[in-house]
Amino acid sequence: MNKHLNDGQLRAALDQELDEAGMNHLEICPTCRKRQTQIKAEMQQTARGLSFLGSPAGQPSPEAKSALVRLYQQNDSRKEISMFKKLFASTTLRVGLAIIVILAVVFSFPQARAFAGQFLNLFRVQQVVVVPVDFTGIQMLTGNDTLGKQVSDLIASSVTTRQDPGAPVTASDAAQASQLTGFTVRVPQGMTPSRFSVENAAAFTFKVDVAKVQALLDESGRSDLMLPTSINGADVSVNIPASVSVAYGTCPDPAAPDTGIGLNSGGSAGRRYPDCVILAEIPTPIVSAPADLNIAQLAQIGLEFTGMTSDQAAAFTQAVDWTSTLVIPLPRNVATYAQVTVDGVTGTLIQRPADDAPQYVLLWVKNGIIYAISSLGTDSQQAIQMANSLP
Amino acid sequence: MDEIFSQESAIQAMKTRKAEAVDPRTRPAEDSLSSQPFEDLFLEHWGPIYRLLVRMTGDPAEAEDLALETFFRLYRQPPKTGEGTNTGGWLYRVATNLALRSIRSAKHRQYYEMSAGKGALEDAPESRPAQILESREDHRMTRLALAKMNPHRAQMLVLRYSGMTYKEIARTLDLSPTSVGPLLLRAEREFEKVYLALTEEEK
Repeated sequence: MNKHLNDGQLRAALDQELDEAGMNHLEICPTCRKRQTQIKAEMQQTARGLSFLGSPAGQPSPEAKSALVRLYQQNDSRKEISMFKKLFASTTLRVGLAIIVILAVVFSFPQARAFAGQFLNLFRVQQVVVVPVDFTGIQMLTGNDTLGKQVSDLIASSVTTRQDPGAPVTASDAAQASQLTGFTVRVPQGMTPSRFSVENAAAFTFKVDVAKVQALLDESGRSDLMLPTSINGADVSVNIPASVSVAYGTCPDPAAPDTGIGLNSGGSAGRRYPDCVILAEIPTPIVSAPADLNIAQLAQIGLEFTGMTSDQAAAFTQAVDWTSTLVIPLPRNVATYAQVTVDGVTGTLIQRPADDAPQYVLLWVKNGIIYAISSLGTDSQQAIQMANSLP
Repeated sequence: MDEIFSQESAIQAMKTRKAEAVDPRTRPAEDSLSSQPFEDLFLEHWGPIYRLLVRMTGDPAEAEDLALETFFRLYRQPPKTGEGTNTGGWLYRVATNLALRSIRSAKHRQYYEMSAGKGALEDAPESRPAQILESREDHRMTRLALAKMNPHRAQMLVLRYSGMTYKEIARTLDLSPTSVGPLLLRAEREFEKVYLALTEEEK
């Protein structure tokens, strides 16, 4: 080993926890030994301050079997209403939710999915990254409709709408859609759209309330995760520009509830709209958040919530620029994804290969516009051809 | 002997009542529990968890409440089992989180204010009241600093300085053993920064 040891390795060596090769190097390297002496001096005061954590407790622990009896007694006496439900019952408490928890939750509860379009566009998006997750935290919630509704309520009540987009407006063609949205709407060459729908601009703010989000984590069985108090009360403002969705074939009415096409749509929609393909275009939303809001830290907690180990979450968090990346947590068993080259850039193709309800979404970002082509079918090549035929 | 017998009976009675009373929809499924039965886990980890909490909070009564809460959470909603599930590690993570939250709470801050002052003097041997007071004040500031810093890093410090090896920390916090050294150093640096800031605030 010729390379010098890094500070972390030198710290481990102080605890005799470095591997043999590292220890051998340290023995013969004066540069590393000098640096280690500096680190030792640096952490000496900390070590002194924390040393009492290793001292004996001073008194014996209460007898385990008596404690077990008390635990069972507590269980009997605790009311059926959980802490989580109590929090929701309180009218004095405003609710809030951290960004990444929302990202995870929107994929799991039908009631929350209506918010997905807003929350998934929280950043100035320049690229899309899919992260496969297990959703262990969510598993504790799924199948519990009441709790699912409460989660939706939590999301809804933490959001203040500053600009309501209202109902979608129908445009006659790409030119009118461009006029209404304020950007040049691109349509595939050689295809005739069945409808142009323009969604007006929207703006909302949500406030993070650590106590409520922590209650959600606790209730979902993830008391082992802890949110930093520093994010409490943070206001995150989101401005979503006007967008357009261009329909091809027979598609559901975007103004009608529960008829959207996405990875969450059921098999019956696929049977009703077998030839429907929708191209959506939206300029990247703009998010303003307090400068000290540590998005990466929140993201790491969110990723751990979805089942990643701390190491995996930390590695992923460090690899992603959270200010420019739209991260889509994708449950492993639900869908597969692949990177594809479309429209001159790298896109992401997400496919659900279910026999009764196959679906796909092709996502990419170009010149500040997010594009998505989705369909309730299996012919994802059609989406790629459409993307490549955009002028 | 009688006492042990009565405790066993009490536990048995509670268990029977639990099985009858708990709604099957909310009762943890057998297959979601650790392969070790709950009571074995309780008896194995109760002592170490309680002692860790006493050191973290400095308050035996609070530590007992938090330890019971930790195991109650295991009882009510055990972590999903799978390959490499580490229920012991989960218990340590939950216990340290609860303790850090408790230290943050206003009620506990008040307790620290009192214990670092008058109470400490009363308990101090006549010959060394100043040292005892100083030490208690240091502990109070250390606990507050731990509660104020990044929870992950605070956990790392608590586990390391309570005597865990890197391997044990890695297993508890779901990390690779080689990442413990760098993360520990980062945690120590943050602790130092927060501690100094708190000291400045209190001047």
